[in-house]
Amino acid sequence: MAFRYIGKSFERTDGYAKVTGAAQYVADLKLPRMLHAQILRPEFAHARIQSIDTSEAERSEGVVRVVTGKDCPLFFSAAGFYDQRPLAVDKVRHGGEPVAAVIADTLDHAKKALPKIKVVVEPLPVLLDPAEAARNKTVLIHERLGEYRHLGSYFPEPGTNIFHHYRLRKGDIDAGFKEAEVSVEGEFEFSLSAHSAMEPHGAICRWEGKDRVEIWASTQAPFAVQQTVAEMFLLPHAHVRVHVLYLGGGFGGKSDVTIEPMVACVARAVPGVAVRYICSRKEVMTSTVLGRGMKARARLGARKDGTFTAFQAELYFSDGAYGDAAANIVTVAGHNCVGPYAIEHCHVDSYGVYTNTPPVGAYRGYGHPEGCFISERLVDMMARKLSVSPLDLRRKNFLCEGRKNSLGETIRDHNGDLFKCLLNVEKELFTRPKPEEDERYLYGRGVASMMKSPKGAPNASSCCQIKFCSDGSVHVNLGGIEMGQGSQQAMRQIAAEALRLPLDRVSVFREVDTQHSPWEWQTVASMFTYRGGNAILKTAEKAIRVLKENAAVVLRVLADDLDYDGECVFLKTDPDRKVAVKDLARGYMYENGLTVGEVAEATAGDRIPGYVEPDPKFGMGTAGGTWTFGCQGCELRVDKKTGEVTIEEFISSFDVGRVISPQMIRGQIVGGVVMGIGQTLKEKIEFSEQGKMTNATWIRYKMPRIQDIPKRQTVVFVETPEKRGPFGARCIAEHPMVAVAPTILNALYDATGHEFFRLPVLPKDILEALR
Amino acid sequence: MSEWITLTVNGVRRTVSYTGKESLLEILRNALDLTGAKEGCGYGACGSCTVVVNGEAVKACTLRGREKLEGIEVLTIEGLADPEGNLHPIQEAFLRAGAVQCGFCTPGFIMRLYALLKNKPEATEEEIRKALSENLCRCTGYEAIWQAAHLAQELMKETRLT
Repeated sequence: MAFRYIGKSFERTDGYAKVTGAAQYVADLKLPRMLHAQILRPEFAHARIQSIDTSEAERSEGVVRVVTGKDCPLFFSAAGFYDQRPLAVDKVRHGGEPVAAVIADTLDHAKKALPKIKVVVEPLPVLLDPAEAARNKTVLIHERLGEYRHLGSYFPEPGTNIFHHYRLRKGDIDAGFKEAEVSVEGEFEFSLSAHSAMEPHGAICRWEGKDRVEIWASTQAPFAVQQTVAEMFLLPHAHVRVHVLYLGGGFGGKSDVTIEPMVACVARAVPGVAVRYICSRKEVMTSTVLGRGMKARARLGARKDGTFTAFQAELYFSDGAYGDAAANIVTVAGHNCVGPYAIEHCHVDSYGVYTNTPPVGAYRGYGHPEGCFISERLVDMMARKLSVSPLDLRRKNFLCEGRKNSLGETIRDHNGDLFKCLLNVEKELFTRPKPEEDERYLYGRGVASMMKSPKGAPNASSCCQIKFCSDGSVHVNLGGIEMGQGSQQAMRQIAAEALRLPLDRVSVFREVDTQHSPWEWQTVASMFTYRGGNAILKTAEKAIRVLKENAAVVLRVLADDLDYDGECVFLKTDPDRKVAVKDLARGYMYENGLTVGEVAEATAGDRIPGYVEPDPKFGMGTAGGTWTFGCQGCELRVDKKTGEVTIEEFISSFDVGRVISPQMIRGQIVGGVVMGIGQTLKEKIEFSEQGKMTNATWIRYKMPRIQDIPKRQTVVFVETPEKRGPFGARCIAEHPMVAVAPTILNALYDATGHEFFRLPVLPKDILEALR
Repeated sequence: MSEWITLTVNGVRRTVSYTGKESLLEILRNALDLTGAKEGCGYGACGSCTVVVNGEAVKACTLRGREKLEGIEVLTIEGLADPEGNLHPIQEAFLRAGAVQCGFCTPGFIMRLYALLKNKPEATEEEIRKALSENLCRCTGYEAIWQAAHLAQELMKETRLT
């Protein structure tokens, strides 16, 4: 099939606005009479609140209101675990929690009033280590865990700090290890890290009285914000309107809900007036969500011929003070730490544990980087123990046609080809000799494989609306958020292809607004191109059908006998008998004004069919649904004197099904790899023993800059069409980050002969290993 | 107590009220509604607020004080395209190279490069890398920005020749 727009690169539809400064993000928006909110954060990470005296702050210059948790003592949830309040009520559970909010006429006045709020607390012992917190039954971060409302797919253990326990029980683990002739094991640690999207979180909220509210927010999930805020105040969901302007990066950190419930509570104190709250960078780090945070033990067993027989793991996630946004990550990491391999006997316990740190939420990869780190390190260790090539060992066990994953789902050819991905990496990485160790540097090479499937609400959908204008050009509306990934442009290309229109006749949505945009569950899990693309294809078919039915009346033929080419609807057997699309778009109007037919507008949606939550007893079921497989490899050099690591080359090969835009997809891969390098070699959120974050600035929290990137990145795509993906495309966005850490750590073993199990690996760790 | 301060922004003399505390970024964004320069951190680590002051790239969030602001000449991202809306070669290069993703860091990177290439059209790779290392981007992995910088250099050379 020859495509006009699929598989080609075009200028982004949002590009002009972004290079001229015209693109408006939430902090750029001003509303009339807008007030400013600032938030008081606690002195202790875990403490009982005895009293809050706001009287002096209320008298402070410019202050309109001071709001505390007592003004809105309710629980909210976006993901089905109701354990969080908009502002602390009787307890604070982490150092970034909102204790009180000042609303004032200016930002400066709001800031000045904050220290005038007097809070008396009784400090409590602080828990930071997840394995320790899981065992501790005397210090409970949530004493009333057993009373929280939650979905049936979460399994809290009341009387402990474990808010969710996911269990995978596939086959018979004892039999699996009995069958194994060799086994390897390790203890793993993945530090907490900060997403650090360039745009800080922000929200502006304006109530109309007490029963309608409008919110402008930096969110990947406006419909989740709508539902959450509506539930909080017992409003019809339709009375909550959420706008998303341009979004300056998300990476999961702006999914579900973060600051919006708090801002909605605060603004409710001053109905009729907009209240603006934009996080400082520090607050983004201390008071939205963090990512990762895992301690784990795992063991892999194999026969001497290399066949994996058993996999066992115990994972503890330090998910911070609240579990709502983390619970599903615990599940996903649990069934993905097995790796992209067919292993008959799997036994995993994955625990979401409360700790006195900011809550953990979705972060690019959603449990997969954590899981992949475990499987890919173990597989490399196993290869060494069996004295076989780590590549061949992977090939022997890869998921492929007819084999079952850890969830018991059968993988089919159209799900993708790990063998081709690995071959691409092998060809790029091993065709030239590895540099020899010299006076200053050690050199190493490593590979890792990965898989990722989406995790979301089982009914998660993308919906599309197509409207033909009276000149035959079209509006294509979806509710997915453009956060940099290029979704608007991808949607435009898919729509132009489906509607057989030139690109410049297709206008895609810019803003998303829950009132006017079609429903989208959330823009997460790399699903938008896949699901939104399908929604476009279905909607285009419906809209074209309307045009044909209108033309059928005019031409006095059957609609099925007509064809459509973007310009006209015409008779298949006699193309000269035709009607222009522009004359059919709003029904057909005869010369005397008589109008027949329907307006050419249509809507449709798409979801992954048959998707269910894992079975409560065995943790299995069709909870993957669609997969993207890939392999990565790198060559690096280690400075023996400084411990610095330079990535000489990084290779990625993913089976993406179909490339929509070569330039944008490369941008996703290359950017994801660099983010992965950051989490592997640099980034770590640190706390004092009292639970105070000690590096909540971009000066102390080090992220990759241009001098830290690989000297060369090679990206090779495999295109095995996905059976139900749009034009065969499958999900790709989070994936480039998933296997970066084990790829680098496997290469570091090759260079240094040392097994690293803790992320990040810093120069001092390398120097220590070399000594 | 607020007083007044005068600066030239994108070729236009602007007088704004000034308490003595606001940064250049706050003046641009709040008083002049020039929201193209962004606040990513507020303390000069990310460069999202980079503008050109008297010909040099400056992180606008760190520039404060009457003595530093009075009379300065500022170019922001809003003043880079020509009045007809035709893009500057650096803007063009960012689009062509695919160097724009979420767009939040984009104005800062473009202004950073503008100052460099205006002063040093033949800037070496090392000079370009050093300039770009002042700014953070979390989306692109810098590859496309690096390519855009080189493309911009070429395009600017062509513009000068024609």
